[in-house]
Amino acid sequence: MNPATVRRRGLAFVAVLALGYPLILSDYIRGLAADGLIAGIVVLSLVLITGFVGQISFCQYSFAALGAFTVGSLVGGHHWSFWLALPVGVLFAGVTGALVAIPALRLSGLFLTILTVAVALFFDRYVLAPGTWNSFSNGNANWDVGRPAFLGLHLTGSYAFYLFALGCFTLCALLVWNFRQGKTGRVLRAIRDAEVAAATLGINLTAWKLAAFGVSAALAGFAGAIGAASIGSVSRGSYDLVHSLGIAAIATVMGVGSVAAGAAGGLFYVFGPEILRHTPLSTQWFNLITGGLLIVQLIVTPDGLVPDFQQKLGHLLHHRQAGVGTAPDTVGAGPTAEAAAASEPKAATEAIPAVRRP
Amino acid sequence: MLLARFTPSLLPSFTVVGIVLGGIFALAAIGLVLIYRVSGVLNFAHGAVAMFATFVAYQISVENGAPGWIGLLAAVATGAALGYVIERFTIRPLTGRPALVKVVVTIGWLLVLQTAAGLIWGSTAYHQPVKLVSKNGFRLPLGNVVVGYDQLTTLIVALGLALGIAALLRYTTLGNAMRAVADDPAAARLWGVNVNRVTAASWMVGSAMAAIAGVLITPNINFDTYSLTVIVIDAFAAALIGRLTSLPLTVVGGFFLGLAQTYPRSFSSLSGTPSLVTFVLVLAALGILFRPGARRMRVV
Repeated sequence: MNPATVRRRGLAFVAVLALGYPLILSDYIRGLAADGLIAGIVVLSLVLITGFVGQISFCQYSFAALGAFTVGSLVGGHHWSFWLALPVGVLFAGVTGALVAIPALRLSGLFLTILTVAVALFFDRYVLAPGTWNSFSNGNANWDVGRPAFLGLHLTGSYAFYLFALGCFTLCALLVWNFRQGKTGRVLRAIRDAEVAAATLGINLTAWKLAAFGVSAALAGFAGAIGAASIGSVSRGSYDLVHSLGIAAIATVMGVGSVAAGAAGGLFYVFGPEILRHTPLSTQWFNLITGGLLIVQLIVTPDGLVPDFQQKLGHLLHHRQAGVGTAPDTVGAGPTAEAAAASEPKAATEAIPAVRRP
Repeated sequence: MLLARFTPSLLPSFTVVGIVLGGIFALAAIGLVLIYRVSGVLNFAHGAVAMFATFVAYQISVENGAPGWIGLLAAVATGAALGYVIERFTIRPLTGRPALVKVVVTIGWLLVLQTAAGLIWGSTAYHQPVKLVSKNGFRLPLGNVVVGYDQLTTLIVALGLALGIAALLRYTTLGNAMRAVADDPAAARLWGVNVNRVTAASWMVGSAMAAIAGVLITPNINFDTYSLTVIVIDAFAAALIGRLTSLPLTVVGGFFLGLAQTYPRSFSSLSGTPSLVTFVLVLAALGILFRPGARRMRVV
């Protein structure tokens, strides 16, 4: 089998699994799967900003909150249609992300982390605090959003909503995937790996970085808006710093250079606590386990789990090929473009140039 | 409408509160700067270490009824031990890797400590503050303000420790070694400095200071796991004013932040105002002091 066939069959298998398997699952699990895919979109926004541009962000759930609360206030407070409120929320999050990126343009990666933590706390403890902007945050109360209808179909059924979430996730994954292909991908990789060299080649660093931050924040805002429809209401407890740090930790553990990590990270983020519920540990243990995994992973496998697995799979297939002796010209190409792309530059976190202390 | 509540006669007492808060911020920020200078790591777990150590003091002094100073000692020991464990087992193995990776490790520690404390002591419940000295106080003749003995103690401890750290860095062998490692680890090693030991010592001292700051701040804030963990961003704001380098400027930054967070409370009842002040300060410090080409200082 040549790599392209393996990849096609793999994708087809994943597609069949993603569409078919939930049919035999309970409503509750389908709901969780939809939430997992929505969290996966937040992971994808991190893949874009960290894996491809080399900047780190600890405030993705603040952007998600902007999307969610825009939808919440417009749908719940002003009786807009969800489909009108959605683009407004995405745009709001995207523009805010680009604004946050302005100081980021002049900061090295290390100090940017302080800025993003400050942004996360600013949104959590000031913008969304009761009393600051009640027409947006609804004070201490929740916004009631409800489930929208899509092309005349009500998304109230759990399978229907799951398919909707799957569609949204696939669209976002394709968008992020496209960012890595072709010219865009080469430009972003050049910026990540050698900023000065990229600038001398005539790449407009400012515009590209602003765009990458804006799109990443818009993705997170999109996830927030869809998440609001999934839960049916918006409350401020789900968008604090710990959520942003948790999703960043999971994205790093899964491997922030890979699009596949988006789905894996999102599902882990939702099903991890659910699995803990059935063990003697409570769901509260989840962040402790994530944090521990993050520390161990950074020391043991710097690339993240998913690219590591893809690489191992690649080596396995590679050896089989070498053993059979067919298609020697494909040796080294890697079985999937995913693994090839993941192994080709250094690990995402490693690619960020070391920062000199002032 | 908001300004209607403004009462100038309250300003002196707000000043006292702000100075005390600022002293605590300065204390936390000094620990942060010490760790950053010597090991090059922005320690986001600083607030979480302070929180965990403070809850150990809470367990001993409030739950078990031991005297406050025993709780404080336990907190210092816990802080130093956590600092050592973090440096020895999770930062040192990453020697030679980008600074950002080490920063992400401290984020992992933040999650671990925050969740562990929530599991042990409950994440949202009200916790009684750790009492070190009586709240009774004396009346300052100037401005007719009552200063609590606890507030006075806090200020004295904060200033004393700041001076103590300055003296440590300037007059002791360990302090000289820390400054040497901060300037150039490779050269320090050539001169026979045990870089690993000095780095571990800086993490222990810095984390112990965070623990003291955490215990002292409990009467001033909503004492729960999250509020203490996110003190780290206030400490960063103060430290950024000192460009993460200068200890005297960091102390100034701490007091400035404390006052700037407290004064708006005299005319605004918004609960989020202190966060707004911190955010603006972080933005301003990053924008002005860390712009490319900004003059570098070297003052320890």
